[in-house]
Amino acid sequence: MKQDIDELLERYYEGETSLAEERILRQFFQGDNIPAHLESHAAQFRHFADARKEHPSMVFNNRLAEKLNQSEAGTVRRLTTWSLRIAAGVALLLLGFAGGLFYDQWRTGEPATSPVEATSALEMKKVLAFEQMPNTSASERIQAVNQSYELSQVDQEITQLLINTLNFDANVNVRLAACQALLRFENEPGVREALIQSLSIQTDPNVQINLIESLVAIKEKRAVDQIQRLARNQQVLDVVRVKAEEGVNRLAGHNSPS
Amino acid sequence: MDVQAFKQRILPVQGRLFRLAKLFLRNREEAEDALQEVLMRLWTNRQELDTYHSVEALAVRMTKNLCLDKLKAHSRQKMDDAADMLEITAEGVSPYRQVELADSADLMRRLMDELPDQQKLILHLRDVEEYSFEEIEQVTGLSVNNIRVIVSRARQRLREGYVKANNYEAGY
Repeated sequence: MKQDIDELLERYYEGETSLAEERILRQFFQGDNIPAHLESHAAQFRHFADARKEHPSMVFNNRLAEKLNQSEAGTVRRLTTWSLRIAAGVALLLLGFAGGLFYDQWRTGEPATSPVEATSALEMKKVLAFEQMPNTSASERIQAVNQSYELSQVDQEITQLLINTLNFDANVNVRLAACQALLRFENEPGVREALIQSLSIQTDPNVQINLIESLVAIKEKRAVDQIQRLARNQQVLDVVRVKAEEGVNRLAGHNSPS
Repeated sequence: MDVQAFKQRILPVQGRLFRLAKLFLRNREEAEDALQEVLMRLWTNRQELDTYHSVEALAVRMTKNLCLDKLKAHSRQKMDDAADMLEITAEGVSPYRQVELADSADLMRRLMDELPDQQKLILHLRDVEEYSFEEIEQVTGLSVNNIRVIVSRARQRLREGYVKANNYEAGY
């Protein structure tokens, strides 16, 4: 054994021993019964064996684990590569545009779909529907016509409904209300034409006068012929004829101001 | 490399890196600071670690370089703390022997410290961490033969220094 150690030591100092042999040496010098002549070698091996037992403290390990977990949580959100950053930027931009477009659509679509107006238009249609006339009272129908004032925008359907009411409602007051209501929508397609046409349909003097006044008020010169025809019609009340005459003059006067 | 893989591959080596840092810095706190710095650097560069042949060799190299940089920056403020060493050597030995052992351990540490950096590193890796010559080659980039020569020189130098100190003391 001692011979072995002597020989191993010799090779150890030459740097010729293997790891296993060096381990034997360290173990030997960790023991207690070391021959006197080898004692001087012991300190070296003891030092190495002791140095190996050193480890970082628990406090350090805890601190490190904390740091690692912290940075781990942080890296999830971090966009590391350039391509990813660019992609995220483009995505955000697109999202913004899409949001803007959507918002715009929502804003313009709002009036038509606003619940209050939608219901009032619907109610109006229900009450003024032609086949409903025997079931509804005149005041109900006037109220329905007046509901059109709540609408900021109307479609063909509503104006047609009002025109029908103006021409065919059994009650004079309802027709007058419809005439007033239609006047608000004079710029809607077909409204002016319907008012002119209505002159030949109406037989009630009240409505006739109202129509003439309305047409003069909106300066509808295409109505001149119809109003003139009224003025010459002997079956029409005198009051209406005078009013028609006056209307023709005023419309014609606008035509050729002198 | 995710946090799990990182812990599996790097954390087992941290004892080794710590001992290496302590070898150079001779102070527990400073060694721990250096170790933490190395580990955090490895962690932030963990994406590139897979491209390295041996992460351990890389870590050892980083630790050595960092320690040498620190020593240079501090211009060798010596801050020995021998307390840990004493505790370790002191188990189950008589007080007289304890002092003797502490003395020789102290001397040994001083001798180790006086070695040139390269000899110190290679001897530490071989005799404390039980690295094979091939592993040391990966860390230092030196040839196996070269390493063998350096190991041999460092061992002899330690022994000579120890014998000389003891004889001097004995003869005094």
